[in-house]
Amino acid sequence: MTIERKIREHLHKQAETIECPTAISKRIEQSYSQYLKRKRSEVTMKKRLIGGIAAAAILIPTAAFAAPPLIEMLTRTPMTAEQVKVDEVGEATLEKLYSAFPETKSFEIIDASYVQGVQTSIILQEKGGTGKKVTLHTNGITGEIEHVNQENWEPKEKPLITLTDQEIKTKADSLIEKMYGNVEEYEFTMEQMENPDQKTLMLNYVKKGSETPFYQVFVQGNTISASLIGGETAHANIQVEGFFSLNGKPDYTADAFINDEKLFSLLKMNPTELKQELAKGKSVVEIAASKNVSKQQVIDVIAKTQVESQIQAEQNGEIPKNNQSTEQLIKAIEPKVLQVIEHKTETPW
Amino acid sequence: MQSEYMYQLLTKMKDGDQQAFHKIYDATYQDVYRTVCFMVDHQQDREDVMNEIYMQMWTSLATYDTNRPFHFWLHGLVIRQVQRFRVKSWRRFRIFERIRGFSQEESHWDQPAVLTDGTNQLISQAIQKLTDKQRAVIILRFYHDYTLEEIATLLDIPLGTVKSRYHAALQSLRKNKGILPSERMEKINDY
Repeated sequence: MTIERKIREHLHKQAETIECPTAISKRIEQSYSQYLKRKRSEVTMKKRLIGGIAAAAILIPTAAFAAPPLIEMLTRTPMTAEQVKVDEVGEATLEKLYSAFPETKSFEIIDASYVQGVQTSIILQEKGGTGKKVTLHTNGITGEIEHVNQENWEPKEKPLITLTDQEIKTKADSLIEKMYGNVEEYEFTMEQMENPDQKTLMLNYVKKGSETPFYQVFVQGNTISASLIGGETAHANIQVEGFFSLNGKPDYTADAFINDEKLFSLLKMNPTELKQELAKGKSVVEIAASKNVSKQQVIDVIAKTQVESQIQAEQNGEIPKNNQSTEQLIKAIEPKVLQVIEHKTETPW
Repeated sequence: MQSEYMYQLLTKMKDGDQQAFHKIYDATYQDVYRTVCFMVDHQQDREDVMNEIYMQMWTSLATYDTNRPFHFWLHGLVIRQVQRFRVKSWRRFRIFERIRGFSQEESHWDQPAVLTDGTNQLISQAIQKLTDKQRAVIILRFYHDYTLEEIATLLDIPLGTVKSRYHAALQSLRKNKGILPSERMEKINDY
């Protein structure tokens, strides 16, 4: 018998005697379920991201919309409960909430923050009890409550999502009616989002003849979140073309960047006004400076909008995915934004 | 284990199908564990390596080359994880070196209980005395029956290196095993 054969036989024989300890199998199984957990939370985050973008929302850290990479983009300043009560926007928001849901008067403000000129957010929670939670995001300019998020309002044993569609609709209707007003004039549609891990329902309230929903409600687990999409903020949608001009002709180069609702609200001016200012030969940065808005704020707002639309286009499959993180995308786009906002009319690019 | 079927299972597993995971695990764990046992001596280390291998399986499916058999991919994964683990254990060893000061030299050998046959034990010990690199070649060649060319691809080293490791390993085995001279003669006649 050659040594090769001997070794081969020996190895195979010995292999037969080796049994994998069950401890290892258990450990690997655990690792796998941990992997699954991580993966699931990623998936839901993505879905929420889409939902958030659809609602044209600024995602901020709340229990339901946890999207850490996006938080860092806008400088969000924390507020104490006392500050909220003396803040103009905060006070008005709370008042609206209290009149809609009188029981929330006893709730505690557990978290609040604002982004200058963009959004004020308040999170309230019931003291003790079942942990009912309300999150409110208010537009910093219009004072309109853009998002309402109700968590744990249904008993734990019977979370919201387990109710029948009709019951869910009734809940959503009453939430909108209390916060905004009558919903009867809207066309209603309900669909389930493709989210294999957690049932998510999207409810749209569309004004007759309109394509985009006026209110959009997401229901997931024991959370119901309503967003105001149309309404007061809609007027800013009117797009102005040719912000700059070159050789006396309208120059559309920068339109895609400057036609940004959030930019208009940051500068507290409508597109027409902005175009007039630009026509005077000022750059966006200069206009912003006159409004006490820093260059970085302008960059942040525009870059964020661009990246969001890019991510959305990727999700929709319109453009190939490039697998870059939000931060990377923002980094990449910043120089381009800078060029646009420092550009002056009638100068070559 | 049909490669295409396995690939489908792997994809499912990666997407979070628990059943697919169990199927894959059941189909592979004995083979993987035995290979790991041959290559890694410490029981605790084996456990760690096993865990790493499966972790890699669901995170690095992207490296799967559908043109090659499933086994090939699997063993490549095993080899890489064992090697990575060695690097780590060396690092760890260096740190603990001073503390332990070689005071306790633990027995690295297998529990002898499984080996009843005296010659077999001799072979086992001889294999364990090989360097890690030589051992990998021997296990792949004789336990998994890969050709030397395939081993070169698996280990990502030139064929010449595989050959030299292979022959050095055989040489060392022969010496350590102290196999009867008659067999040596037979061996020499082989060439």
